[in-house]
Amino acid sequence: MAVIGKAPSEVSDINVTPLVDVMLVLLIIFMVITPMLQKGVSVDMAKAVNAVDMANANKTNAVVIAITRDGKIYLGSKVINADEVTSKVKDQIENKLDKTVYLRSDARAKYGDVTSVVDDIRAAGVEDLGLLTEKVERRPGVPPSATP
Amino acid sequence: MAMAVGKKGGPMNDINVTPLIDVLLVLLIIFMIIVPRTPHGLSALVPQPNKNKKQNEAVLERTVVVTIDANQQIAINQTPVTMQDLGNRLENIFKTRNERIMFVKGDPNIPFGTVAQVIDIAHGAGVDKIGLITKQLENQ
Repeated sequence: MAVIGKAPSEVSDINVTPLVDVMLVLLIIFMVITPMLQKGVSVDMAKAVNAVDMANANKTNAVVIAITRDGKIYLGSKVINADEVTSKVKDQIENKLDKTVYLRSDARAKYGDVTSVVDDIRAAGVEDLGLLTEKVERRPGVPPSATP
Repeated sequence: MAMAVGKKGGPMNDINVTPLIDVLLVLLIIFMIIVPRTPHGLSALVPQPNKNKKQNEAVLERTVVVTIDANQQIAINQTPVTMQDLGNRLENIFKTRNERIMFVKGDPNIPFGTVAQVIDIAHGAGVDKIGLITKQLENQ
């Protein structure tokens, strides 16, 4: 053959099968792991732009009360009755210096349920409350500002 | 063939690097994403009912109370305001005040998310201390 020039180098098509395998495995891993990462009950927290870091809420001795959408109250991961809140919170903060109670309330929980829990927390002698929220960049419903 | 056979003997495979990279990349991505997240939150105060009546009255005259009624209408000290204006109005009110204290009162039937949004806007407007008014405080 009188073809003078570079022989075409071998080009292979991307083998898609391992790519799909890897992606599927990743997907399954995240679908399984993410709910387990939350300590306590899973709650759809309200979104807030100006939320501050509350790293103390992750500590094992932090008092975290969760209120679900239907009004169930959880201290940590255990369900408690509305009338036990005061005594249990009092027990937990007895030996602590920082008497802050963290409240993980579902965004759709009735505010009346939240206020009665707040009342009970107040009766236990707590003054500082941390309302745990999800941090978002922009408030939902607000269009992005024109000025960068 | 007159190759000198050294220590290597027999057919030897080179390591197939591709699956190794796949597995390592997957592990890396997993650990990059499963990083413990710091919880974020809005700080709020639950004021203890004040036994001193005189002090209560002096404070009450100047307090800013934001109320949210059952229809999710917001009002600052009885003046209705929309959620969009809330931030600006609060900024104006607190421009002239030293003590940035505000109280929030909500109808028991509204979703907590609305109240959280109001508290969020208030923190953004520069209010430091936000107290939650509950039934017990009102009966005081």
